[in-house]
Amino acid sequence: MKTTEAIKSEKQLNNDDEKSLRGTLVSVGFVAAVIVVMWVAVFWIYMERV
Amino acid sequence: MQHRLEEMWMIVSVGILVVFMIIIGYQTFAMGMGPPSHSETIDPQKVEETAPFDEPGVFETGENKYEVVMILQSFGFTPSNIEVPVGAEVEFVMTSKDVTHGFQVPGTNINAMVMPGHIQKISHTFDEPGNYLVICNEYCGIGHQAMSTTITVK
Ligand SMILES: [Cu+2]
Repeated sequence: MKTTEAIKSEKQLNNDDEKSLRGTLVSVGFVAAVIVVMWVAVFWIYMERV
Repeated sequence: MQHRLEEMWMIVSVGILVVFMIIIGYQTFAMGMGPPSHSETIDPQKVEETAPFDEPGVFETGENKYEVVMILQSFGFTPSNIEVPVGAEVEFVMTSKDVTHGFQVPGTNINAMVMPGHIQKISHTFDEPGNYLVICNEYCGIGHQAMSTTITVK
């Protein structure tokens, strides 16, 4: 059985973890944007030439 | 332990892939816009005796529709210096007599690998008049860089 104190500190820890993942989310989002832009560009060139 | 942010980017990543595959899949299977690839085979040593390659050339098959039966070999295209009218829908039917060659028309979507033993088909509609360069884009030997011809659209 966990004490209220323990649950609180666990939550706190998770929140800190989530905060530290912000940068990762932004980086992953940047990579995703690059992939989408490249895909759309290649798709557009293909459709231009059909 | 999964985090909300991790879930978010997993969903977005999978979503992007699914969207790409739906678009490409729809074009390929519903609109017939798949990449050139044909499962027809041919004996590469008997190309000249096998129809339609016993008679390579440009043939009119319908209203402004053409079929080009073409043999590729080191280091040329038969027939070469093709002429078609503007707006012609041309289907190229190709095979190789020796090694793997390429058939590419820069600036268009025509880009096919032509392998001995296989019959390759690719079609294109030439809406713009002009002189189109055709090049072999698979290294095929000492004269590879000289392997080119033209398609004249007028
Ligand atoms: Cu070649």
